[in-house]
Parts: sequence; structure tokens; C-alpha cells
Amino acid sequence: MTAQPLAIPSRSHYLTAQKERGRKVLGVFPAQYPREILWAHDIAPMEIWDPPLEPGSAPAHLQPYICAVVRQGLELVLRGGAARLDGLLVPHTCDSLQNLASLLNDYLELPVPVLFFYHPKEPFRDSARAYYRRQLTILDQKLAARFGPRREGALEQAVAWGQRVAELAGRTYDLRARGQLSAPALEFYRVLRAGEFLHPEDHIPLLEEFLAVHQGPAPAGPVVLLSGVLPNPKELLSLLDQQGARVGHDDFLGLSRRLLFPASQAADPFDALCEQYFALPPCSTRGSALSQRLDWLKGLAQASGARGVIFYVVKFCEPELFDVPPLMAGLKEQGLATMSLEVELNQGVSGQIATRVEAFLEMLS
Amino acid sequence: MSLAGKARFQFMKDVGAPALFALNKSAARKKRRPRPANPDFGPPLACAGRLKEIMARHYYLARFAKGARPVAWVTSGAPVELLRAFGYYTIYPENHGALCGAQKMGPELCQAAEEQGFSPDLCSYARVDLGHFFSRKTPAGRLPRPDLLFCSNNICQTVVYWYKVLAHYLKVPLVMFDTPFHFEEFTEADLDYMARQIQEMIPELERHSGRRFDEAYFRSVTQLSRDTSLLWGQCLATMKARPAPMTIFDAFVHLAPVVSLRGLPVAQEYYKILLAELEERAAKGVGALRQEKKRLMWDNIAIWYKVRDFSNLFASRGMNFVVATYTNAWAETIQYLNLDDPFKSVAQTYGLVILNNNLEHRLQLMSQMVKDYAVDGLVLHSARSCKPYSVGQYDLKRLISQRLGIPAVVIEADITDYRMFSEEQAATRLEAFFEALEAA
Ligand code: SF4
Repeated sequence: MTAQPLAIPSRSHYLTAQKERGRKVLGVFPAQYPREILWAHDIAPMEIWDPPLEPGSAPAHLQPYICAVVRQGLELVLRGGAARLDGLLVPHTCDSLQNLASLLNDYLELPVPVLFFYHPKEPFRDSARAYYRRQLTILDQKLAARFGPRREGALEQAVAWGQRVAELAGRTYDLRARGQLSAPALEFYRVLRAGEFLHPEDHIPLLEEFLAVHQGPAPAGPVVLLSGVLPNPKELLSLLDQQGARVGHDDFLGLSRRLLFPASQAADPFDALCEQYFALPPCSTRGSALSQRLDWLKGLAQASGARGVIFYVVKFCEPELFDVPPLMAGLKEQGLATMSLEVELNQGVSGQIATRVEAFLEMLS
Repeated sequence: MSLAGKARFQFMKDVGAPALFALNKSAARKKRRPRPANPDFGPPLACAGRLKEIMARHYYLARFAKGARPVAWVTSGAPVELLRAFGYYTIYPENHGALCGAQKMGPELCQAAEEQGFSPDLCSYARVDLGHFFSRKTPAGRLPRPDLLFCSNNICQTVVYWYKVLAHYLKVPLVMFDTPFHFEEFTEADLDYMARQIQEMIPELERHSGRRFDEAYFRSVTQLSRDTSLLWGQCLATMKARPAPMTIFDAFVHLAPVVSLRGLPVAQEYYKILLAELEERAAKGVGALRQEKKRLMWDNIAIWYKVRDFSNLFASRGMNFVVATYTNAWAETIQYLNLDDPFKSVAQTYGLVILNNNLEHRLQLMSQMVKDYAVDGLVLHSARSCKPYSVGQYDLKRLISQRLGIPAVVIEADITDYRMFSEEQAATRLEAFFEALEAA
């Protein structure tokens, strides 16, 4: 018998509840940012990845060749989303998000402040480490100036939360890789992605419950790796579940590339955050070399027994689109089957894509 | 580097290239049937021939550089002064992309990259370059394979992704200069980070080039680079004159040395000649157009395959582009370059370029340009290839029109890939723009 989906509040209700309990809420665009610093200031980050909105006001500000993450994020902000928030934070992820940050800050006269977070790109020389640490303290000071100082010990507590989330996420990924997690892909990503808006005080128990409920044998079908920005459209996950396939691992920007890091032992919380940032898996948006990404993917395939990799690329996403052809070629050389799907967010899966995926899975079985 | 390679390069530089170009010149002179002069234009710039020669020579000598000098492929916004200090022969794939675009080779080369799996939605400079890598086709004869790739994300993140792919295929080292985006304030932390990286790159480049860093030489190159960019800025400033002595379409072409040969004496010498000619024209009232009725500003990179058509179209209506954010980019931040503190000032000069700066800055800069150059209308090229240049343009158009009361139009196109250009859509938009401008 399949377990019932776990109860997760809707983003909108959760946002209201957070405000009612006195927390500030920041809308955060993708992808990498030190959420522990926000938690330490009693700010709940509400990440904006793929709000399911029809185009309305955003096309007046953005060209049609800009990716849907940026377009739909802006749509949400323009439809009054910003008014429910205490501010926005845009990390420096790609050119489109960089300019979106500036557009929001400089031209659109929003009712809330827009903050920006620059994190260094590879290669990480000594200067990058020193710089990242300074960026953390600058963000901490900015939040203090705007929302008041943080409580004594709050950052240490937040770092511990972050490490606990990473540990639980790591265990879930690990069990899944070993075929010992019974959860369907759809449920797996629903629970993991809840961390995009749940405070760790709520996400940690959810992850614990998920582990307790879903430890057990995985479906015995073909094993695949998923790579890309985020698992949307989710109909693709349902398709994999229906076909009895097992997702052995993923390399999603919104998930494993941010979630899986070893806990730092550093006593100073800034040092710990710094160490953890530089220990994250390789990522296109941080400028990782292709050889690193290739080795990483091969390692994931080996650890999970995956024989095929599906690249699940958001249309117009430059960081991913550049990497895909050489990664596919490199994986093929290792005997791994690959397929690349260019998707639009929240648009479901066309019959043609479904057929391609089914054929791909058949080839793996 | 082999001794024979060095000797061959030197010979071609001192004897081969000059002889070949002299020969070509005289053959061309004999063959040339004068093109009928377009009555809308004033006399052409006399130094255009010299420019052609300089750029052709640069690409020609590149064929012999391999084995004689370390060769680097470089992004247009990278601090090339550092490479010059190590004797690198530099190739600018973006400049090569522009060349391919102007020769209408964009789609063919883009397709060669697309056949290898690269999406048609990627920057077409990158696709042209990758297409050249896969097909070996180029209008420049032959490009030398690089020993090193040198890249800075001060113009875009795209170059990072693109150069990573090149590094992977070519199996050569990539040296990257990371420049934090100037969102609101340029902090001490940003500046220190960039200045430290430049210092950290020195031992990396020593290792890759096999040469030792000579700080005095680096300073002299930096000085040369500064002087060259200042001269380029002065050339552009001559276009404040009415009529302007050249069009921005000329400037798109005359930009090549400051992009590709910055830090070399030849670039500086060239701009001295160009400046003298422009000043003379301005003093004598010789305009690029015979009748300059309206003065325009261009935003974004050129539509390379349309330069001639647009030049003729606008000239036929007595409209001259007198200023562009794009051509200004190689002069805008040069004032920060200070030889007393070369590392920090190089960091500042390159960290604050227009594409690494916020949109408020762009709005202020363009508003100032409208005033300084007495601009009557604005054309924004929304370049599908270039997100950092294009995202924000719709609002920029709105704000400039509202605040300064000048007509503005956005043209959807691409820098080299003309498959992305709709003749009809551009014509309709331009027609409405011309009407608004003529009615103003
Ligand atoms: S055109 Fe734009 S995206 Fe392409 S290399 Fe130039 S600055 Fe980067």
C-alpha cells in the first residue's frame, strides 16, 4: 500500500502564519544564498522558483527570450506578491537574475526593499574565500540595519538548523540512491521542495517523518539521474513513477546542488557557512569546470546504479544549456544513456515528450 | 616556444606581412572600380583603409603566432594588460563573432554549433565561436589554437559558461577574473577581492606562459592602454559637433583596435590618426551625413549583418546616430586607471563597466548622453543573444521617453544570427519611430 502524501501547508497560508507569529518574510529568487543568516534574523525566506501564473504584466518588462523562472517570478511580484512580503532578495545566479534584481530595485518602484547577494564564482582562490566571508557579514549587517539586530546565539542556532536539514536531506538522498526509499519521485520532491518556504523548525520534522514513513524498498524499475534547474513540470515525475522508474539521484540546482554539504566543525558560524558554501557540489551557476560536473554526475550514477541521465532544462537557461552537450557526450563515453528535454515551467508534459521518456526508460530496462 | 617559430613570426611581422599588404594594396588599387557615392553621406573617413590593414594584419599574423608566442583567447572586458605583460598574442572571439556577423556567416556557424547540441537560444557570439571550433570555418583565414583562455564575467556570465566549454574541448587552462556586479554600492570588499585576484593570477600566468612577471612592463602596458582608451573617448566626443564627423556605424567598426589591440602601440597610433581626422572634419563642418536633420542614440551591440542597411536607411532620412552606449563602453571607466595603484585601479576600471553596473547607472548615463550629444531619438536593439544588455531595456525606453520627452523604439534582433531578425517587424516599428521623430 502506498503511503498517503504528508501534510504540507500551502505557501500562501504558511506566509500568513509566519507574519502572524511576528516573523518577517523575504521573497528570495534562485538560487544560492545563506538562508541561515535570514533565519538568524527571524526572517522566513519564501523562495520564488516557479509560481504557476499565466503571463500578465511581466511581458511589458521582459523580452520573450528570458527564462520562465525570471518571467514568472516577476509576474508574482507585480501581481501584488511583493506587498505581502517585507522585502526581496536576489542572489547573483545568472545574467537574467542579475538584471532582474536591478530592474526591481531601480525601475519598478516596489513598496519593499530589494537586497542583492553576490557569491564568488570559480575558481575559488584564497581571495574568493575571504570575499565570501565578508559578503556574509555584510548581508548580516544589512539585515540588522533594516530589521533590527539578531538575538544572541541566533546565528549559531540557525547554522545548526541548516546542518540538520542537510543531514536529513543527505540521508534521504542516500537511502534513495541505495534503493531503500519507497517514496515516489513526486512525493520526494514535494517534501524536499517544501524547504523552499518552510522554516527549519517545520521542515526538519517533516523530513524526519518522511524518512520514517518511506524507508523501504524502492520500485525495481530502471534507475535514472535527473539533472537541471528544478523538477518542474512535475508531470514528468509522475510519468517516471507510473513507469516504475526510480530516480537514483539528482543534480538539480534547486535541490542537491544547494542541499548536500558536509557539516562544518568550525566554531565560528560565519566560518562554518563559508566552509559549507565551498563544499557544495559543482554547479553551472557557480562556474564549476565541466570536468568537475562530469565526475560528479558519474559518481552519482555509480552510487545509485543509474544507467541513464535525463537533463531537464528550463528553456533559455544559459548556465545549463551550455553545459548539457559536453556533459551528455562525456556521460555517453562512460556508457550512460542520456536524453535532454527542454521544458517550459508548469506546462505539463506533451505527448511527444512522454513518448520519448517512455522509450528512454524502455531502453534502460 | 620554438626558436624557428619565433623567427618565422618575426619575419612575417617585419617582412612578410608588410610586403603582402603592400602588394594587396596596389592590386586593389588597380582593380578597384569606384563604388557610386551615396549622396546621403559626406566624404568617407580617410583612415578607414589604415584600420582595415591593422585588423587584417592582426588576424594574418595570428596564423604564425602559435609556437612563437603564447596565444590566448580573451573576452572583450577582461584586463588584457595582464596578458600583454606576459607576451600573449591575443584573439578576441567576440571580435571574430562580429566579423562573422558582418560577413553574414552567423547562421552558418551557429548551425554548426547547434548540430553539436548547443541550443539556438544561446548567445550567438558563443555559437559562432563554437561553430568555428567544430567546422574550422572563419572569414579570418585561420585562428591560432589558444594555449590559454582568459575570461571575465564583467560583461556577462555567458562568457564563463562559453569559455568553460572551450576549455573542456580544447583542454587548455581557463583563467577567470570574477567581478561582483555593482548593484547599489561598490564596496571595499568588492574592490579588494578583484585586486587580490589580479595578484593571484600573476603566478598562474607565470606558470602557463613560462615567463616572469615584469611589473614595470605591466605598468607601461597599462599606461598605453589608458592612453588608447582616452583617445578613443576623445574620438567619440568629436561627435558632439553638429554635424557629427562620423556615424555610430563607423564607430562600430573603428572600435576594433580598442577592443582587440588595447595595450599595444598600434592601437594608440591608430586613434591619434583617427582623432586628428575627426577633429579636422568637425572644425571644417564636414559631417558624416550631408544633411544631419536628427541626431540619434543607439543602445546595445550592433546588429552586425544590418550595419550597412541601417546606415543607409537612417542616412536617407537625414538621421545620424551620434552616440551609443556600446562604443562608449571602452572609454567610460578608463578614468579610474591610476598607475600609482595599478591592481586596484585595474579592478575598478574593469569592475565598473556598463554591463557590470546597475540599471540606474545606465539610465543616468544615457540621460546625460542625450543632453551632451543633443540627441533627438533613441533606438534600443533588444539583442536576443545578450541578456545583460537587454533585460531592462523596455523600462529604459519608457523612462527615457517620459523623462526626456524623446521618441524611442525597441528593435528585436540579434547580433549575428539573422534568422532571429524579422524584417517586417523592424520596418513597422521604425516607420512609427520615424513618424514620431519627424513630428517632434
Ligand atoms: S553578446 Fe552579451 S552575452 Fe554574448 S558575449 Fe557579449 S556580453 Fe556576453
